[in-house]
Amino acid sequence: MLLSSLLIVPFLGTLALLLWPDRPSPARLRLITIVILVVQLALSVVAALRFDPSLPGLQLQELHRWLPGIGLDYALGIDGLSLPLVLINGALTLVSAVITRDISKRPRLYFAMLLLISGAVNGAFLADNLLLFFLFYELELIPLWLLISVWGGVNRAYAATKFLIFTAVSGMLILGAFLGLALLTGSVDFSLTPVLSDRLAMGGQLWLLAAILIGFGIKIPLVPLHNWLPDAHTQASTPVSVLLAGVLLKLGTYGLLRFGLQLFPEAWAKLAPALAIWAAISVLYGSLAAIAQTDMKRMVAYSSVGHMGYVLLAAAADTPVSLLGAVFQMVSHGLISALLFLLVGIVYRKTGTRDLEVLRGLLNPERGLPLTGSLMIVAVMASAGLPGMAGFISEFLVFRGSISAFPVATLLSMVGSGLTAVYFLLLVNRAFFGRLAITPPSGDPGSDARLDVQLSTVAPRETIPALALAAGIVFIGLVPSSLGNLSEVASTALANLTAGVS
Amino acid sequence: MSDALPLPLQLIWLVPLYGFSGMLLSLPWASGWIKRNGPRPAAYLNLLVTLLGVVHGSLAIQEVVALGPQQLEFGWFQAADLNLRIGFDLSLTNLAALELVTTMSLVTQVFALGYLDKEWSLARFYALVGFFEGAMSGVVLSSNLFMSYFLLEMLTLSTYLLVGFWYAQPLVVTAARDAFLTKRVGDVLLLMGVVAVSAWAGSMEFNDLYAWAATVHEQQLLTPLAATLLGLGLIAGPMGKCAQFPMHLWLDEAMEGPNPASILRNSVVVTCGAIVLLKLMPVVAAVSPVATDVLLAVGTISAIGGGLVAIAQVDLKRAFSYSTTSYLGLVFIAIALQKPGIALLLLFAHGLARALQFMSVGSIIATTNCQDLTELGGLGTRMPATALAFLVGSAGLVGLVPLGGFWCFGLMVDNLAGIAPLFAVVFLITNLLAAANVTRVYRSLFLGAATPKTKRAPEVNWLMALPMVSLSVIVLLVPLIMQRIDPVPGIASFSLPVAAAVIGSGLVGVLLGALTPLDSFWSRSRLPTVRLVQDLLAYDFYTPEIYRRTVVNLVASLARFTRWFDITVIKGAVDGIGRLSLATADGLKLTVSGQLQSYVLTVILAVVLLIGSLQVLRGVG
Amino acid sequence: MPVVSQDLVQANLSIDQQEVKRRLLSGTTLLSDTPDHVLEVVGVLESYGEVLDAYSKNLIYQAEEQFLNPFPIFKYLDGDLNPAKIWRHLNHDRINFEYAEYCQKAMFWHGTGGMDAYLDSPEFSENCRRIIAAKRSRDPLLALLNPLFPGFLPELIRSAATTHALGQFWRVMSDLFLDLAAAERDGRVSSIPQVVDFIKDGLVAAAANPIRYSVQISGETFWVLPPEAGLTFLGDVAVPYVEAVFLRGMPFLGTVSFNAQAQQISPDQAKFTYGALYADPLPSMGAGIPPSLLMQDMYRHLPEKLHQWYLERTRGEGDVRVKICMSFQKSMFCVTNAAINGTMPHPLESSDPEARAANEAYAEAWAQRLGIARTDCLGAERPPRVS
Repeated sequence: MLLSSLLIVPFLGTLALLLWPDRPSPARLRLITIVILVVQLALSVVAALRFDPSLPGLQLQELHRWLPGIGLDYALGIDGLSLPLVLINGALTLVSAVITRDISKRPRLYFAMLLLISGAVNGAFLADNLLLFFLFYELELIPLWLLISVWGGVNRAYAATKFLIFTAVSGMLILGAFLGLALLTGSVDFSLTPVLSDRLAMGGQLWLLAAILIGFGIKIPLVPLHNWLPDAHTQASTPVSVLLAGVLLKLGTYGLLRFGLQLFPEAWAKLAPALAIWAAISVLYGSLAAIAQTDMKRMVAYSSVGHMGYVLLAAAADTPVSLLGAVFQMVSHGLISALLFLLVGIVYRKTGTRDLEVLRGLLNPERGLPLTGSLMIVAVMASAGLPGMAGFISEFLVFRGSISAFPVATLLSMVGSGLTAVYFLLLVNRAFFGRLAITPPSGDPGSDARLDVQLSTVAPRETIPALALAAGIVFIGLVPSSLGNLSEVASTALANLTAGVS
Repeated sequence: MSDALPLPLQLIWLVPLYGFSGMLLSLPWASGWIKRNGPRPAAYLNLLVTLLGVVHGSLAIQEVVALGPQQLEFGWFQAADLNLRIGFDLSLTNLAALELVTTMSLVTQVFALGYLDKEWSLARFYALVGFFEGAMSGVVLSSNLFMSYFLLEMLTLSTYLLVGFWYAQPLVVTAARDAFLTKRVGDVLLLMGVVAVSAWAGSMEFNDLYAWAATVHEQQLLTPLAATLLGLGLIAGPMGKCAQFPMHLWLDEAMEGPNPASILRNSVVVTCGAIVLLKLMPVVAAVSPVATDVLLAVGTISAIGGGLVAIAQVDLKRAFSYSTTSYLGLVFIAIALQKPGIALLLLFAHGLARALQFMSVGSIIATTNCQDLTELGGLGTRMPATALAFLVGSAGLVGLVPLGGFWCFGLMVDNLAGIAPLFAVVFLITNLLAAANVTRVYRSLFLGAATPKTKRAPEVNWLMALPMVSLSVIVLLVPLIMQRIDPVPGIASFSLPVAAAVIGSGLVGVLLGALTPLDSFWSRSRLPTVRLVQDLLAYDFYTPEIYRRTVVNLVASLARFTRWFDITVIKGAVDGIGRLSLATADGLKLTVSGQLQSYVLTVILAVVLLIGSLQVLRGVG
Repeated sequence: MPVVSQDLVQANLSIDQQEVKRRLLSGTTLLSDTPDHVLEVVGVLESYGEVLDAYSKNLIYQAEEQFLNPFPIFKYLDGDLNPAKIWRHLNHDRINFEYAEYCQKAMFWHGTGGMDAYLDSPEFSENCRRIIAAKRSRDPLLALLNPLFPGFLPELIRSAATTHALGQFWRVMSDLFLDLAAAERDGRVSSIPQVVDFIKDGLVAAAANPIRYSVQISGETFWVLPPEAGLTFLGDVAVPYVEAVFLRGMPFLGTVSFNAQAQQISPDQAKFTYGALYADPLPSMGAGIPPSLLMQDMYRHLPEKLHQWYLERTRGEGDVRVKICMSFQKSMFCVTNAAINGTMPHPLESSDPEARAANEAYAEAWAQRLGIARTDCLGAERPPRVS
């Protein structure tokens, strides 16, 4: 019942918000949402405490026959792969709700959708049935589309539509692969546990895996399927970006591991070299594209493209260390990108711009955003893989686990890691160093120095979520065994699974 | 085993933490949380914890002298075949290096209290120095490659933050960035080496690595290419840290940072880099002869090139920062030729004397608001502590009078004369260049008539003068300390002709430095060839320009191309497909109408469609 | 409501050289006369007066009691060594005397005016010789250093002389600014022209005050700046001070690169424009901005009324020290204005063409320097925007 509660709480919350009598104020709605999300996070923590990390396989399982005719069961379970992601989901949705302020347009729908997404994502991570996973995977799509298209920026319609089309294609491919699997094996058992694919011919396996790869590749996203992401991020509001980058992209990588690697180990082993190269291309492409951006948010979005490539590299290498690295990378990217988007959001809210050719000197102690700037330095350093923070140990595990299998792709990915430092230093040095300014330079430093810039204060409550995320990043960076202990058995089991096959 | 160790050794892990705790202790002031009171308590707290570090280190030295070298290890992270540990190698050399780090940090912090007396961001400065000190203490004690790498990267970060200390100054904006990126190139290459060696050797303890490296060739564990790349990767990190050609640029850029940080950077930070190289050298030497040759080449180019470039600098700080590159080049040669003992002595003598030199530089900048050699002069009679520090520091570096530099040069030349006479010559040339450089700088600073900017130049306050005088005494005592560190065969174990050669090269240098005409007030020579050479050297062989045209340009072009590709090809294709299915897009533009019912309808429709299709499928299956 | 960057940026109008000259010759104040300006200028000068009081006492204490002390560890305690005060000192709960020393260094380093000339005179050398002779008999360190570094002690004595002179100067200014605040409370001063006149009158009254400095060495008095030198308040200290601190200043490490190859700092100190009238207030309290210390000191002595006024503007307490700096710059324009008026060669009302020409040339010289200063702070305040 514990795992179900992780779904029931947010879903009931959604309903409650939608059906709440009379017209609660936005602040009230936000408070209710936060309470619900705190309960959800607490339940996730309880699940983590009840979870025995020394056992492989799914735990705390629940099974109810639902539509046995079509193989759809309500089957839940949790393992070392999904547990950290459930925790991240709980934490980041809470952060999203906390940093949501002054929602004047349809607050009720907004918070309901936030809860709906959180529940659906929990469902997808916990589902022990392909169709159930798919239902939740699709269920998260509509509210997110709404969040972008109703509360987004000027170009939100374009971005939201693009997001919807891409993700719909992604869903279709995944559903196609699942149905194809059923069709080819002649079974309507969609439960995840038995390895279905070993009954299939390699040709069929490769086709299905390709569909899965492209389907989840859109979600992750991998180059060249990434085009929806920068637009979605730039148009989405800050809390939605936090959710999108921190949690929803992880559905893609989770799916890749769970339904690519675990379901098709033989085909996976065949494709692995190509996947490693794909990963390296994605990493380099994302990093290089990020260098050329002048919109801070777009830059962070492209950095996501690059950094999610590490997960593919780790999955391709498929060793115990690399898969553990994949879990680490998912978690740390979740925290780091959430922090980056949150901080960019603060800058945008205070200055009205995210343009790196306009912003300068925001570290100014009295008139600028010094705390935001300091946290930004922490965030970009974490993202660039500086030791002592979550990014380093994640990248180290990924690289260390992958270099024997795919030395060239790993080295190229490490170059991408070096490039991260390039674009993020450009960001910090342009926007935060120098004399404070938020208008384009006039070309005459003397007259620029005469501009009086009056930004409103960043209230402590605005930075508390950022501080919490930064603390989490440093904690994982200094005490990685906290996360490693949760996931090591699962990632080793996953690697052994395929090792046994090949 | 570790239970039996005396307390100072058991608790040696505290030493790096002293520095880091200094950073945390500074936070209330650095973050602006304490607003009514000034930031000085942060400085005092940092001094206190650093003093603790010095005392703890010296207690540990006493224990190690009594007990012999010790190892101390703690598990940090373990997964599958990967075992990452925190390990301390408590040898006498490492502890001596630790004392060098903590003592220099302490002295510098006192100096900074005077140099930065009118600095409101003092707490942030001390926080960063604490971080710096913590990372360096860890690096010198580290017994495994992973921890060394971990802390080296932290050093890179703190270098960036310290160079960026005056973040509103326009040149700092680019300098901090470039300093970080240049170091980062070395770090990423080192990371490649670390990751590879970790995967191949299975352990990252230096001792295990030595054992593994010894078997690489006979058991053919690596292909020649892999071995060479590994060797190059491993030396790249120290090359970056020690500001060696072609990764020396950051040290020049770093001179935009506050002087007390420059003191540390030019003395102990580069020393940390070299110590990591020392620890790695047995692996590099066994794995890749090519890497060893590269080390020799890099060291030679850095030694002589750095020496030449230093002479052409008009900027007071840069005249010595390039000299640092030059001396570290010599250390590289010594390490590459497997003379670790002499390399350590040279590092030790250089670290102390260079720090002293930079202190006197700081005191001159503080007094004259100027670091342009052509605008200075005539300070000699008025600034005794500064002049003393400069003279002693310079004498401690150059092989001429019997201070640290002389004995190191003597030992090295004597050792090399037989096996690699060419490198002995490199040492002598470097000595000559260094002597010429300090002599010309001394003339520009202390001799001649007072200039407008030095007309009123009182000696600096006691917080700066006292560290200078104390360190001068230490530098004067360096030969005695060296003799104690390296009693066999003794620091004077070289022949008279060698001594004569060293003194001769030093003398020629001093003569050259004394006779060359000095530029004044931004003026230049009128001879075109002289100007050409001057410019070539003054602008560091145009290395920044070469970087700009190659690496920077390459990355920028690739980035532009990627952006173009992303917009034109990928986005173009997506939008094209989108236009084809325009109808769909229109149908989905429900957002504008904003009707909740339609959204819910869409969701329900999707679910119904799904279940319906499954039913159909079932009928098929 | 989306935030638009342009709305958050203000550029006030500067006045040019011609306008500066016109205002100086017509007797109009440089700072426009508004009630807000009166509140700002009088209030900030009151807190400045209190800070200067402490600065002045300490500089005089340092010059007299810590004279040639190689380790002046307690130089900021004014001789009062009670534990509570030492604790406050360690806790940095104190006036930042470092800024007073910074101004002294600026004045000494730029070295203009009559006192600087006297410091190079044979008479001064003779004073030094006597002092050193008395000192070295008691202090072996100095006895050793003096023959080796003959310039060392005289330079320190010169520095101490400037320190003492600046202390005397600030004594007068502190009293003047505190009187100004009292006059404003009494209603005697209620407009900017009255403020400028009040300061001018104060300066003129003190103009001929003698500047003297003597030290006690083992009970014996030695003159450093003897009465015979004939140094006076206005010409020998006030004017060099304005030159060194208001106009030239010294480059801030936090905004200017000292890199010789970048050539950002002029080799000619007379061309420096880093002084209080040219400084950019926005980076106050940032790294490498020494006047931050003064802003902090004034922040701790802010009159309640002005503090309230600041709280209603921009970030309230959050950027109060930048606002202090902005007000301070305005008040320094008033002081400069008063000094120029007070040193005008002839009365402005004079109808004699020669007198008028002399006045015009004088005003022109000042206008050239002030034309490129931060005259954008002189206009009327815009309505406050509260965040």
